Amino acid sequence: MKKVFVVEKEDNVGTAVGEAIRAGETVGTEGRVTDVTVVARADIAYGHKIALRPIARGEQVIKYGLSIGTATQDILPGDHVHVHNVESNRGRGDRAAAQAQKGAEQP
Amino acid sequence: MTEFWGYVRPDGSAGARNHVLILSGTVYANKVCDKVAGLVHGAVAITHPLGRCQVRPDLRMTRLFLSNTGINPNVGAVVVIDHFREEGATAEDIAHDIQQASGKPVAVVNIRESGGMIAALEQGVRYAADFARALSDLRREPVPLSRLLFGTECGTSDTTSGLASNPATGICADRIIAEGGRAILAECTEWMGCEEWLTSRAATPEIAQQIIAGVQHMEQRALASGEDIRGSQPTGDNMVGGLTTIEEKSMGAVKKGGSAPVVGYLEIAERPASTEPGLYVMYGPGHGAESISSMAAAGCQVLVFSTGGGHTASHPIMPTIKVTGNARSFELMRDTVELDVSGVLRGELTLEEAGRMIFDEVVAVASGRLTKSEALRDDNSFAIHRVGISI
Repeated sequence: MKKVFVVEKEDNVGTAVGEAIRAGETVGTEGRVTDVTVVARADIAYGHKIALRPIARGEQVIKYGLSIGTATQDILPGDHVHVHNVESNRGRGDRAAAQAQKGAEQP
Repeated sequence: MTEFWGYVRPDGSAGARNHVLILSGTVYANKVCDKVAGLVHGAVAITHPLGRCQVRPDLRMTRLFLSNTGINPNVGAVVVIDHFREEGATAEDIAHDIQQASGKPVAVVNIRESGGMIAALEQGVRYAADFARALSDLRREPVPLSRLLFGTECGTSDTTSGLASNPATGICADRIIAEGGRAILAECTEWMGCEEWLTSRAATPEIAQQIIAGVQHMEQRALASGEDIRGSQPTGDNMVGGLTTIEEKSMGAVKKGGSAPVVGYLEIAERPASTEPGLYVMYGPGHGAESISSMAAAGCQVLVFSTGGGHTASHPIMPTIKVTGNARSFELMRDTVELDVSGVLRGELTLEEAGRMIFDEVVAVASGRLTKSEALRDDNSFAIHRVGISI
């Protein structure tokens, strides 16, 4: 069984660090969580994250035992977790820069 | 409690090495320094392109880096070489700083005053050889880890860095701190996005404010030079690699500092005034050589450099241990990388075990084991942070 790596036990996502994972494959966990299995609902490339638990829209995505952002839609176990369903809590730098630019242009 | 075998200095600090440092005051003395160091047992040269025609804040920065590097307990004695006495960061200023702060033997060679290049070379070699013989009488003795100041750095990072080598380095930092030691986390550009994790660990509200201000200051400096370092984070390449947010990217980096309370905020290359155990965060750029040099100037005796792609970074007087979580990088870069913790990602090694491997290597290196880069005399990473332009 292919496995994803989980840094801290609070994490609700794991990271693919071996072979790429194909949709439909059963995936186990390595690291500080070793007893979870999920069925991948999408292809998960090396370095990408997969949800280990349901993460409701508005809930925090946890990696390193800390929030790395907020779910922008309901995420199911086995889903690919990335920019399409997670938003930074710090705001997107490019948007903040655009905002600042707009502010600077005002008289 | 763990001890390491160190050289106890006049000021009570403990060195992991016993170097005679040949320190260049200006770019124009670099070659003489290299020649002196090449002729004397145990001597190591530190050279750089600065020290002349710099704006005042930069002259102060140059002096700070050079003086504090000489004060580092890994240095037993110093020969400072300059070509001519000018205002600014002179050899005399630097020698004075080192002597005042540490009480260690320091000599100055002025190329012009000694009668030229060849006479200066003779004078420098004589000082250095005398120092080398005197220092050879020193014996290592057991000292507690409370006298260790441990540096952390990461560079040429990849997916494995944030998952394996950085968290394992953090576990090592936590262990050193638990045993009464201190650790430094620098590279404040990489705190961007996880300031709150650091401020939540700050021992005082003032430290928390300094952390926020430090990140903002670096960001403003970058903006002033036309570079928006926040706007592009994480980068397109990062996203292709699987990093989703700036928080995720930064936490992967900041993990190498461990999870201990942040007990002090340091300006770049500043020596901590306190011996309180804990994590000290230091202002400075992500530039590897500058960052490593700023921690050596702060007094770190050993540094762990966590790398994904593998690395050659090694400071002239501060042993620089390289650790990777990427098995392929270890194969390719095994001449200069000490530890392979890729077993963490294959489930063959726990993060705790990897942390212990790093800790054991740190104690061994602090006690005299050569790093791979030291064995090859590949000391490539000395660089002074710059504030302004050359004038």
